[in-house]
Amino acid sequence: MSAAAPAPPTPVVATAGVVKWWGSTLALAGAEVVVGTGVTGLLGANGSGKTTLFGLLLGLHRPDEGTIRVLGLDPTEAGPEVRARVGYSPEHHSLPPDVKAVDFVRHVGELHGLPRREATGRASDVLWQVGLGEERIRPLGTMSTGQRQRVKLAQAIVHDPVLVLLDEPTEGLDPVQRDDMLALIRRVGHDFGIHVILSSHVLDEVERVADGAVILHAGQVVSSGSLSELQASSTGGVVLEVAGDPEPFYAAIRSHGVPLYVDGDRIFVEGGEDAFDLVRDELARLDLPVRRLEPRRRSLEEVFLSAGLTGGQARAGATS
Amino acid sequence: MTTPTDPAPRARIIDRGYRTYTGPRTAVRGAFTTVWRQSVQRALGLRRSAWAKILPLAAVGISYVPAIVFVGLVALLPDVDAAEIELPSYGDYFPFIQAAIVLFIAFVGPEVLCTDRRTGMLGIYLASPLTRDSYLLAKAAATAAVLALVTIGPPLLMLVANVLQGVGPDGPAGVAGTLARVVGAGAVMAVLFTAVSMGVSSLTDRKAFATAALLLMLVVSSLFLSVLIEATSLPEGLQALSLVTGPFNLVQLIHGERPAIPEITLAGAAAGAAAWTLLGAAVCRVRYQLLQVTR
Repeated sequence: MSAAAPAPPTPVVATAGVVKWWGSTLALAGAEVVVGTGVTGLLGANGSGKTTLFGLLLGLHRPDEGTIRVLGLDPTEAGPEVRARVGYSPEHHSLPPDVKAVDFVRHVGELHGLPRREATGRASDVLWQVGLGEERIRPLGTMSTGQRQRVKLAQAIVHDPVLVLLDEPTEGLDPVQRDDMLALIRRVGHDFGIHVILSSHVLDEVERVADGAVILHAGQVVSSGSLSELQASSTGGVVLEVAGDPEPFYAAIRSHGVPLYVDGDRIFVEGGEDAFDLVRDELARLDLPVRRLEPRRRSLEEVFLSAGLTGGQARAGATS
Repeated sequence: MTTPTDPAPRARIIDRGYRTYTGPRTAVRGAFTTVWRQSVQRALGLRRSAWAKILPLAAVGISYVPAIVFVGLVALLPDVDAAEIELPSYGDYFPFIQAAIVLFIAFVGPEVLCTDRRTGMLGIYLASPLTRDSYLLAKAAATAAVLALVTIGPPLLMLVANVLQGVGPDGPAGVAGTLARVVGAGAVMAVLFTAVSMGVSSLTDRKAFATAALLLMLVVSSLFLSVLIEATSLPEGLQALSLVTGPFNLVQLIHGERPAIPEITLAGAAAGAAAWTLLGAAVCRVRYQLLQVTR
């Protein structure tokens, strides 16, 4: 008897044809989102529908069209069950100014069903984990933006959720604080075993921390998948470094009508699968020593720009 | 005992790391309870700065002062002298503390409701197992519990004073009946003012605006209704719709006393209270159903 093939893993989040209007404003225009395990970046310009999507995933709003599954449940029908298993860190920085960080995090832990004693212990523990051990008894109003972002992360994970939604978690942070926050998010996703969806409009951040990405534009998903898939697109071309005189190589490539450009020692040859064969053949013909030869990995910024993505707001009629 | 030659005890920092949680979860009940508890604490200024405690504790204190004085007089004076003191009835007690109650109502609702929207806590609450309705229910329960401190507590003390003076209800059944009326009348007032204060507070994020609006609504609407009735010769019974006169007359009627405005009937006063309660609750619920928490 042959063993059955393992079932594909259930996606953490799956939406199909989700449409959401806010009055006359179209926020989501048929978004098809599939998010797997690990850390996923939800990329998009301001107004592209990221925060609206979070609201729908939490069951805070009903979609006008389409279906949503979060952890296998429909949040429009089983909102409390979904929210009990999900942590959420909102975008805004305003938190109750006169409440101590540890009291705030404990309160959120209790909100998500932790018994009081357990919530008290975990609040302190999780604040230590995000680097606020000594600061945990300070009122939130006395904390810096970076510290508040950490408190928001702590409250989102205090109840040991399966999935955590982080809305612009690096907003307002300086470069050092941003690095620290990204490292923390990576820990949450990889060491703590919590799936993370991180919304951002900063491509570099997602590139550094995420395993996969979903790119939203004008309320629709224009690209999604694992980061390596997105970056190593078949239209990415080839990047190489040669040891000898590169001029004959330039001429040879250009004689085939294939564009290339040079950045320092690196030579970028544009094109698809054929570009790789062409480069290999010309290098062999010219007997040119090679230091490096690999498919060109596009940055997320290039992926983003290659789709012609400018502006963020969805337009009416985009759903059809 | 350690000696100078013993090695120093080694201190170790134990990093427990991030721990998963597999224990029981309290679900919606736990969320409801913690929101209720936190809201009561917030309204009374508990676990907050001294400034935050001044207004609520002053309002509560003032509402108890007459009752404490009456209890003190009855308990401390000789029996003969105490018997000569004419204690106010349960219905007559509220005019003594009317200003404190109005101030407290105008403070509690906005503190409990507006703060969450102003500080962004609402988004965090609604990202928990609570729904909008269960969140509002927890907030209403907290507001009503805090308001009950001034609508039930003082008459309860008066009941103690009456029993001590020997002019109170006779026998356990009499005491139980009066106790039920004290609690019932106070609960009706607490629920009514909870609905009104939450209805008004749901319309603005700013506590000061909500407080001012509530004071205006309570005082000005009552004055306006009085002037309107006097100027147009409308029936005095319409005072049952007043947010100040109506509830206090209702309390007198619940206790079987003659109301300050004799034209107000029990049914009329109850209908007025129910109308305001439903209106406040409806405004608050509709407002929160339409609220866009994330966008």
